[in-house]
Amino acid sequence: MVTVQKDQSTIIVSAEEKLSLWARIRYAAGSMLGQVTELVRYHELVRNLVVRDLKVRYRNSVLGILWSLFNPLLMMIVFTVVFTVMTPYSDVKHFPVFVLCGILPWNFFSASVIGAIHSIVDNSTLVNKVFFPREILPISIVLANMVNFLLALIVLFLLMLVFQIPFTGWVLLLPVVLAVQVIFTIGFGMIMATANVFYRDTQVIMEVVMLAWFFVTPIFYSGQILPRSYELWTGVTIDVFRWVNIFNPMASIIAMYRVILYGNGNGGSPPEFYFFVRTLITALLVLGIGSIVFYRYSARFGEEV
Amino acid sequence: MSGSVITFENVSKEFRLSKLPVRSLQDIFVFSWRENMRGKQRFWALQNVNFAINPGETVALVGTNGSGKSTILKLISRIIDPTKGKIKISGRLSALLELGAGFHPDLTGRENIFLNGSILGLGRREMQQKLDSIIHFADIGDFIDVPTRNLSSGMQMRLGFSVAVHVDPQIILVDEVLAVGDYNFQLKCLDRIRYMQQQGVTILFVSHDFQAVENLCTRAIWLDEGTVRADGPVQGIISQVKQNYQQQTNKKTTSDKEMAMEINKFSL
Repeated sequence: MVTVQKDQSTIIVSAEEKLSLWARIRYAAGSMLGQVTELVRYHELVRNLVVRDLKVRYRNSVLGILWSLFNPLLMMIVFTVVFTVMTPYSDVKHFPVFVLCGILPWNFFSASVIGAIHSIVDNSTLVNKVFFPREILPISIVLANMVNFLLALIVLFLLMLVFQIPFTGWVLLLPVVLAVQVIFTIGFGMIMATANVFYRDTQVIMEVVMLAWFFVTPIFYSGQILPRSYELWTGVTIDVFRWVNIFNPMASIIAMYRVILYGNGNGGSPPEFYFFVRTLITALLVLGIGSIVFYRYSARFGEEV
Repeated sequence: MSGSVITFENVSKEFRLSKLPVRSLQDIFVFSWRENMRGKQRFWALQNVNFAINPGETVALVGTNGSGKSTILKLISRIIDPTKGKIKISGRLSALLELGAGFHPDLTGRENIFLNGSILGLGRREMQQKLDSIIHFADIGDFIDVPTRNLSSGMQMRLGFSVAVHVDPQIILVDEVLAVGDYNFQLKCLDRIRYMQQQGVTILFVSHDFQAVENLCTRAIWLDEGTVRADGPVQGIISQVKQNYQQQTNKKTTSDKEMAMEINKFSL
């Protein structure tokens, strides 16, 4: 058990063998608060790492930052060609807008998770040579991808204008939905980053998991087409729609983006309140678990990478 | 104890040594039945280390490779945590542990200065004010706007040292990086260290260059296999260390001679 106490500029690091349960709880609460204040103190580092990430990403490319606009546009074209020209079964209105509403948040999530997995290991030159709150690494990855996402939203908005989908007042909920996604992504990213420090399999496994996750999330299809009862075995049926919504927070998050921006192709409509609250609670829970796991093991990062 | 800036109380640090590093799930499955392969070996890098360093002191850590000098610096800079004991540090700390520490290879020197400053907890405005003097001190000309991966090791050291001394530290840790710089820059570094000594900065210095140690430091801590073997005024400690090295070399040469005789016997 390592305790860190601080007053003004004095830091005490001590390894204590035994602590009562109550002392442990008090310590955990205190250190959480300490971590948060330290994070605020290091906001400049977060900013610099985000800028670094964006700069490095586009440094050696001709189009530079414009790629964050072209990339979603190209993906949208691919999906539209595949699902309306090659397999013309979908009767989704304004398919390009529909699919982009799903692809953009998914790309944000997927790039953040993959980035966060590598964030500690790839920054070994920082982690084992300088001290700073380690959670800054996954957090700054998520924030850098958020900047990309916000840029890509411009493409979506332009496309909505082209297809004449009206903007309704519900679009104002966008920052709230975004916040839910950021909370969930940071929490999940922290768990994955920690796992990858100790078991490098994580990065390989997660590549497959993310691909599977992409397909089970209603991105290029509507959640509504999921069967309400699917016969798994004789007599055993499952409600696929329900299970996807309960166990896949990304499905709920993407559904919310779609509801407030696209509606049914006629402009944003109000999201269900309870649905929203449930997703928020899930996201907060994941962040809580993520930070506990991360803080529990981050003291050993310097030795392990 | 209350007046000191760095205090170590019965500090021990244990590292897990693995014969085969368990890095993947596969390793767990494959090696779980071979207990001896699973890397249960433990190694005490430091054992019951005690010392207190007062404000304004310049202290050298001396000892052979693997005696625990760098472990102590890493503990002070909070990169690793102690297994046992208590460490107390008061004051802003700046560390120059290894070349290019805290630099991102894809960013230019100028961008890295800001990155480095923010890692040390300094704001953008503060760094802006210090930028000119940092660049001036590093003195690497136009290379300041070149990605740091393309810089020579000497240039990286110049930049790193320049940032580390310009963030107004109250404690500074210097590992053996200074040796990379050329003669002129080494003189400049020594000047700067003397200036910081006058300002009352506490300096912890790791070096195998006994002459530099004797010139700069007032006190030395001699580490041997993870324990403090001697602690005191620099002259006394250094002569003890030298004596010890001499003895070991003698022992080694005699055993070498014996070995040579043995081999001769066999070959005849």
